[in-house]
Amino acid sequence: MKISFLHLLLLTTVFFSCENKDDTVFEESADVRLNAALASYEKQLVEAPYGWNAVIYPGGGGSYGFYFKFDDKNRVTMYSDFSDASAAKPKESSYRLKAMQTPSLIFDTYSYLHVLADPDEEVNDGVRGEGLKSDFEFSIYGDSLTADRMAFVGRKNQSRLVLTKATQAQATAYTNGDLAKALLFNNIAKYIPYFKRVTLGANTYEITVNQNARTVKLTWLNGSTPKTFTTSYYLTPAGVAFVSPLVNGSQTITGFGNITWNANSTQLGFSGGGATGTVVSAIKPISVDLAASKRWWQTPIESGGDWRSATGFHVNGVDDAFKVADLKSDESIFAFYVYQPGVSARNDLFAPIFYDGKSIFLDYGHAPAPPTFTADGRAIFSPAGTYGTIPAAGAAAESAKLLYDPSGFYLIQTSDETYDMVSAKDAKSWITWE
Amino acid sequence: MKMILRSFTNCIIAALLAGTTMMSCKEESLGNVDDIPGLGGDVWAEGPIDKWIQDSLVVPYNISAKYKWDQFEFGNLTKTLVPPDEAQVIPLLSTIKKAWTNPYVEEAGKVFYNKYSPKFFILSGSNEYNTEGSITLGTAEGGRKVILYGVNLFKIKGMTGYDPGRDSSFVKDWFLHTIHHEFGHILHQTVFYPVEYKNISKAYYQGGNWINWSDADARRDGFITAYSSSAFDEDFVEMIAMMLTEGKAGFEKIVNSIPEGTSPSGVTKAQAQAALRQKEAIIVAYYKNTWKIDFYSLQNRVRTSMNKLF
Repeated sequence: MKISFLHLLLLTTVFFSCENKDDTVFEESADVRLNAALASYEKQLVEAPYGWNAVIYPGGGGSYGFYFKFDDKNRVTMYSDFSDASAAKPKESSYRLKAMQTPSLIFDTYSYLHVLADPDEEVNDGVRGEGLKSDFEFSIYGDSLTADRMAFVGRKNQSRLVLTKATQAQATAYTNGDLAKALLFNNIAKYIPYFKRVTLGANTYEITVNQNARTVKLTWLNGSTPKTFTTSYYLTPAGVAFVSPLVNGSQTITGFGNITWNANSTQLGFSGGGATGTVVSAIKPISVDLAASKRWWQTPIESGGDWRSATGFHVNGVDDAFKVADLKSDESIFAFYVYQPGVSARNDLFAPIFYDGKSIFLDYGHAPAPPTFTADGRAIFSPAGTYGTIPAAGAAAESAKLLYDPSGFYLIQTSDETYDMVSAKDAKSWITWE
Repeated sequence: MKMILRSFTNCIIAALLAGTTMMSCKEESLGNVDDIPGLGGDVWAEGPIDKWIQDSLVVPYNISAKYKWDQFEFGNLTKTLVPPDEAQVIPLLSTIKKAWTNPYVEEAGKVFYNKYSPKFFILSGSNEYNTEGSITLGTAEGGRKVILYGVNLFKIKGMTGYDPGRDSSFVKDWFLHTIHHEFGHILHQTVFYPVEYKNISKAYYQGGNWINWSDADARRDGFITAYSSSAFDEDFVEMIAMMLTEGKAGFEKIVNSIPEGTSPSGVTKAQAQAALRQKEAIIVAYYKNTWKIDFYSLQNRVRTSMNKLF
């Protein structure tokens, strides 16, 4: 019984293998359909009369605005919001469509798009060997395409690239250099104080811009309740475009337009939410996070870690104003500045840490007493002693002098694991702890 | 009569052969083959760079250069690379042509050059960064394909932002050194160099430890560069690349720069210099006897063309 069953199985196999009919579900072969798809994608790219507005969301984060104009000779001309130069001057390079695992769009010679993906960290301030983890080879999925919108997915880092058909006015705006004017927004970094506010209509917002991560954070008071909103942004000839809009009661802000910059008075102006405003500086947060300073101090004690800063204090618009990065201990180089709460019951540690090629070590440092936490949310530091022999003048002495400023500091939590410690005296000095 | 018969026989054989051919054709039909996308390579509307490559490299030397992005030409798919900027392609390739192709063609002839030169150049705009901190300058596969990295960083006289102090040594040590190095490998893989070469510095090769050496350290042991000390073959081609790209005067300068005293491996200044001299002599003789090339004349041509570039 068993054997005849096996025989039957064998017979079936034979019958199956004899079956030799090309029966396809589709009317045409895969190659014919693939060629047709590639041709239609290229046609759509080329035939947009005024080109495409584009936004890329690199796998490494952020969002960047582009403009593409494709021609039928494998050439593409583009603008990008990455730098003043790339916003003002078009660059021509090549592209092609190719059948890979999926139909793909490849920008196959260097363009503004490749700047984001370049593994040379000097090009884009990214990570050496990886850049901003962006893409220039994209998979095309037919169901992500409509007549006016084409969305692609990067083949290496899964960046998203979204193209929307440009109007004639938009195309003209790019050639007129309007994107370069929108980049005036970057001047917000030139305000000396840490805190900046803008009043748009009935609402006053504290505005915090992270140009590397391409985020805008808006904080405002709803009555006495603080509210915050954070969005990614990119730049277009019209100004700053928010990836997600802010809806605040009757006011909706989708971005900032009409960007103006007065270099003499260091004033940035723009419109948003149906109103126009000028960015003004402030010496304290619009809403003080009263528990933040205590929380900042307590966190490392609970986790057993410490706070580190690679660049020390930023003072009056100058990064690493005291040049802690140039500190040396004999032959050993500077590694980071540390604040370690609760080294003993009596004191904390505030010191430069050095690296001798094998390990990190402490040479000398200040020993602040545990800070006083005021009712208005500041932390005030005072000396309790020192470790080792501190050079009388120089980066360590100056850093400590600023730390012991009697006005104290506000602690601004910028992410789960990072704080900015901002001078409460004038908000013109701060140090980033991570 | 005989003649006719013979030609008649030949005809029969031809007919028989034709029959066989037809028979084998009949066996099976391939069916309906459609236009397979990408079969025969990618195509694009050709531009001035494609024309330059065709006229300057493909037609005279049967060498192709791929500058448009193709991830699969690069060995390691996990690395982040970018394609070259179009503006860099012709300056780079013409530099290689001037400082590598032309000297060899003038000295050894086109037949020699076309027979042994690598046939595919693949260009990457950026460097290849390795996890241990080093950078890959170039790689060669099987004597046929050479990948050059960092093309967007390449600058010669006349290009915007050219800084002679920085860029001339960069182009020399990076691109031209790589090409001459890889071509040296092709030569010795075709006809091996005299075996006594291996005896000169036999006791002092470092193997994989070369990375912890500086060129100055290596020279005190009789190696022209640190990488020379990694293996016999690398030593041989590093000598060729250094002698050609530095020129005779530059090579003399390197030999004379070896400091007094004894190296940590116990090599004296005189011994180190003598080792470099012996290696030089073997290479000159190898070029003469094996390839009928006057090495010093070749060296002079390479160096003269380089002087015009920087």
